[in-house]
Amino acid sequence: MSAKHQRVLVIIPAYNEALSLPRLVDTLRSRYPSFDVLIVDDGSTDQTQSIMSKLPVRLLSLPCNLGVGGAVQTGLMVALDDNYDIAIQVDGDGQHPPEEIDKLLTALEETGCDMVLGSRFLAMAGFQSTLTRRFGIRFFSSILSAICKTNITDATSGFRAWTRPAIEILARDYPEDYPEVEAILKVHQAGLRICEVPVQMLERTAGRSSIQTAQAMTYMIKVPLAILMNLLRKRETSASR
Amino acid sequence: MQEHGQIVVFLITLCIFTLVLGLVRKRKITEHFAVLWVTIALGLLLASSLGFPYLFRVAKFLGIPYPPSALFLLVIFGLTLLVIQLFAWVSKLNERTRILVQQVALLRSQLKPVVKHSVEVENQLEAGQ
Repeated sequence: MSAKHQRVLVIIPAYNEALSLPRLVDTLRSRYPSFDVLIVDDGSTDQTQSIMSKLPVRLLSLPCNLGVGGAVQTGLMVALDDNYDIAIQVDGDGQHPPEEIDKLLTALEETGCDMVLGSRFLAMAGFQSTLTRRFGIRFFSSILSAICKTNITDATSGFRAWTRPAIEILARDYPEDYPEVEAILKVHQAGLRICEVPVQMLERTAGRSSIQTAQAMTYMIKVPLAILMNLLRKRETSASR
Repeated sequence: MQEHGQIVVFLITLCIFTLVLGLVRKRKITEHFAVLWVTIALGLLLASSLGFPYLFRVAKFLGIPYPPSALFLLVIFGLTLLVIQLFAWVSKLNERTRILVQQVALLRSQLKPVVKHSVEVENQLEAGQ
């Protein structure tokens, strides 16, 4: 079934993204009028909420800041409850051009994968992030590629699309902190297929990244630990069956 | 342990008992944690009544030449276990809070159109009167 006939929900996790959201929503509404757009405000302290209420989208306001993991999971819970066929995550900072969504949807349709990642490193075009971040991304991508036995080049990309089976898995169990890498692993462990498509990303138009230098160290420790724990849990589950 | 030392430990134990019971009575801590602290107080009482010779034996067994160091080691080990237990508890609470926050947001979004509709109906009724 083509994406044109499917119910698609675009999830935008947003924390203090008041400056970039209106433009993003405008482009999404004009380019994909049949898609539903859901902004999950993750307890913003700027004008995000008042600006959101004027936009022609569905709004969900978390009473306090849960982090990107909690916000995306809430969006996936909506996708699950309201029977959407496809969910797409687009970051609220303007890094993910809505025009590139077509590539994700085409990949879902043509490859039969349940999760498609938009990778900025497959075509090496557009914004490529800083050198240290690229090193970290390559490190995690290599680990995931080995575990999932598929080529993953942009493991931390927040530009991704899921089909219904993946939505069902992730709406119930989504990692909390620095969730991107672990979420891929969870989908793989559920026996679902993952693939990547080349996309162009932009530099964020406003706001601050959730990962600053101090948090980068935590990221580098937390994520490998989470991968290890997930693998151990999977082994225990398999052994108990 | 010498007599005055035992008295001091007994008084500390009594203080912990009184504090725990007082906090439970005021609902500052739940019975779940009170059980833990009462057990700790009982453990202290037992340790003080069994006395010093056992500490020497434990220290010798662990190869620690200075017996009070063995006491500190055991206490640090016990406190570490307690901190780990608290971390597990905090993690559980964190998970529950996350679920609650998400459910509140979902319910609020579901409630919004219902409230809007009821306000409209109310306005219509008022206009009709």
